[in-house]
Amino acid sequence: MTAETRRILLEAAVIVLLGVVLGLSFNGRLLLNVFSGRLPQSQEEAEPRALYPVPVDLAGVRELTAAGAVLVDARAAELYADGHLPGARSLPLGEMDEQLEAFRQTVPTDAVIITYCNGYGCPDSFDQGVRLLEAGWRDVRVFEGGYPEWRDAGLPVEQGAP
Amino acid sequence: MSRFARIAYHLSRLVLGGLFLYAGLVKAGDMTTFARDVANYKILPYSWNYLVAATLPYIEFLAGLLLLANRRVRPAALVTGGLTAVFMLILASVVTRGLDIDCGCFRPGGHTTAAQALWRDAGILLLSLVTYRLRGRSAP
Repeated sequence: MTAETRRILLEAAVIVLLGVVLGLSFNGRLLLNVFSGRLPQSQEEAEPRALYPVPVDLAGVRELTAAGAVLVDARAAELYADGHLPGARSLPLGEMDEQLEAFRQTVPTDAVIITYCNGYGCPDSFDQGVRLLEAGWRDVRVFEGGYPEWRDAGLPVEQGAP
Repeated sequence: MSRFARIAYHLSRLVLGGLFLYAGLVKAGDMTTFARDVANYKILPYSWNYLVAATLPYIEFLAGLLLLANRRVRPAALVTGGLTAVFMLILASVVTRGLDIDCGCFRPGGHTTAAQALWRDAGILLLSLVTYRLRGRSAP
């Protein structure tokens, strides 16, 4: 390896490292929250723009629901009727405007909420998570694997209209 | 360096730099959406998607900036070429796994399929190569 090649490799590594440092410092707080699974304790602590739902995996979903977390199905009511996670509430993303008040009556804002939809290709649960955070719920997680991952893991599902 | 080579060098450097600067800026501006795009690839564990989404745009941004500024061109072209090679491997795995996802290459939540992105990345890899090689022929 010539000195020139070594210099180029070293400088390329510095570019990558600088990028990582910049990215970490700009998004440090968000990442800290993601990795610790902790959300800002109050609305005052968090800037409204920084509100985001925390991702949770299958094992996390089982653990949290056993501890009383509320499962929310963001898919259309027909899909919910065909099959959903046990005990999940139906709150289709497209009907949130109409159904949010009824949802608010029964689910306190200090409850842990887990939203899901049709898996990784489906953005609805994430969007719903953002809207629930904006609407005042404080601990909202997104199960990105969604209904397909749960079903394919051989876990029990429920059927029936909301 | 011949006149033609000089023009080809500056053209590929500017196009490459502009592409990476743009890609970095739009993704850094909407990190959570980009994290979701990364998650779609089903390659990394949950939280790591956020780590990639938080850092990758800044690396792209820096490399693009250096290329546009005509500074540290060979290291920057190495970074863009290396990143693109990794992207192509991942996209190829997406195509073979038959995942129907958006690549998340530029605008987060956009609509470019993995196969389209693979072809585009081949072009970007070529640009990186041309920039790197032609830079070597001239005085730094």
